[in-house]
Amino acid sequence: MIELEHVSFAYADQGPSVQDVSFRLEKGEFAAVLGANGAGKTTTVRLMDGLLKPTSGRVLINGADTAQTQVSERARRVGFLFQNPDRQICKNTVREEILFGLRTVRAEEGEDALRARAEAVLAEFAFTGDEEPFSLSRGQRQRVALASILAVEPEILILDEPTTGLDYLECCQIMDRIRRMNQEKQVTVVMVCHDMEVVLDYARRALVMAGGRLLADGPVPEIFRNPDLMEQASILPPQMIGLGTRLGKGFENATSPEAVADTVLSLQGKGGHAE
Amino acid sequence: MIQIQDFSFTYKNEKTPALREVSLTVPDGGFLGIIGPAGAGKTTLARAVSGMIPHHYRGDFYGSVSVNGLDTVDTSIEELSRLVGMVFQDVESQIISPLVEDELLYGLENFGVPREEIPARLEEALAKVGISELRDRSIASLSGGQRQKVAIASIIALKPRILVLDEPTGELDPRSSRQIFALLKQLNEEQGITVLLIEQKIMLLCEFAKHLAVLSGGRIVRQGETRDVLSHADELQALGVNCPRVTTLSRVLSGKTGTEQPVCVNLDEAETMVLNLIGRRAQP
Repeated sequence: MIELEHVSFAYADQGPSVQDVSFRLEKGEFAAVLGANGAGKTTTVRLMDGLLKPTSGRVLINGADTAQTQVSERARRVGFLFQNPDRQICKNTVREEILFGLRTVRAEEGEDALRARAEAVLAEFAFTGDEEPFSLSRGQRQRVALASILAVEPEILILDEPTTGLDYLECCQIMDRIRRMNQEKQVTVVMVCHDMEVVLDYARRALVMAGGRLLADGPVPEIFRNPDLMEQASILPPQMIGLGTRLGKGFENATSPEAVADTVLSLQGKGGHAE
Repeated sequence: MIQIQDFSFTYKNEKTPALREVSLTVPDGGFLGIIGPAGAGKTTLARAVSGMIPHHYRGDFYGSVSVNGLDTVDTSIEELSRLVGMVFQDVESQIISPLVEDELLYGLENFGVPREEIPARLEEALAKVGISELRDRSIASLSGGQRQKVAIASIIALKPRILVLDEPTGELDPRSSRQIFALLKQLNEEQGITVLLIEQKIMLLCEFAKHLAVLSGGRIVRQGETRDVLSHADELQALGVNCPRVTTLSRVLSGKTGTEQPVCVNLDEAETMVLNLIGRRAQP
């Protein structure tokens, strides 16, 4: 569980990046933080991880204030996937990279147990373990970063634009893996994402930010179906929701091409009007 | 004009070619989108057109690449860079100055733009990309998206005849991405600048690019008008290239209604298609 209570934050020499933001995420939620560049999304997720401490207000992770807990305590509970995997990869082989995180936060389990954990994750991600991270492609490096976070089995997963620089298949692979963590192990997921189709496909709750403030908080499709809110937050809704909004009657709940097509079939022969 | 003929390239110390027998022509004033999965050779293609291959990247070079009639092998990188503006995927490797203004000035001064023209060119480029207010900021204080806009502005300020952009909107939000695409379209239509745009954002690419080329495994597997390329959605998906959802809708509706529906590339077309099918008029 993560709770933000009236959180504000300002970087040195700059105006506030986040202003009076409050929300609470329960265990097992899958939330997306949406908004334009500069809306305060990345700052907000860094506050959620304790990477930044609020200028005022409180951030609680499972009830513990991030201002009073050690990084090592939080690292075990919270996994953070950076936008750029090169900001977190620091070892010369994929195996060492995965072991690095494990040794840092699960040292008490003993080296043998950690090695077993690492091998299991390597097998799952189809790495031999001997690859050099920096000779891999961007998409593969992103998978290395994700593998090393998942190896630790965090309770909370924070993702800052996890699909940037990935092609469609790589994006689906990574997001499907994250969805499995969320559904099977009740891992709480929070992601910053600019691809609204990905948000629609994977996230259930949307937190909309603009100018450092929380503008709206609700179920994903509902948020996307609010044209005024979309305009205010500079968000372009996913194509099928945009289409549904334009078409109006009968199409309000269609979020996928299949659902739109089914609605078309049900309306055909009725002069295009719902019963 | 960009002309690539039977071009193959293998980076030094690599065994497999990054590009194989690629032939591609982008006429003057053309707008070509390049799409393909990771490792398909997209960035290599951009490097070849900008002359970084063979001038900066060594390797085995077969075939020919020419821009506005100049063979890239025989032409110096200085001369090529006046003709071809290149926006890199990795912004960090492009930006070299500590301040936004300096970054733009660096290119303008190096290109020998007359002193009296420089302030106007600088202001115009910043305004076009929508970052006039960032002029005096330090690069270090900017977000990834803002840096990307600075990189684009610094290239546009040089007014190249050909623009090559390698995933220029990766870190931009949807609205900013659309602004950049609209700017490229404007430069393309009003000034006849030739655009070669590599992008993963398939929906935007399909709305703005007149032609598409699909790269996979170093080869061009399809090229043509955007709509024609999208009509092979199944083949694209098998290669790991997504299609816009409106195109998927065309395909799903063709299947479910049993009648061939038009291949839609944008929302307007999808709206018209659905309204026609249900016999309803567009709502005011």
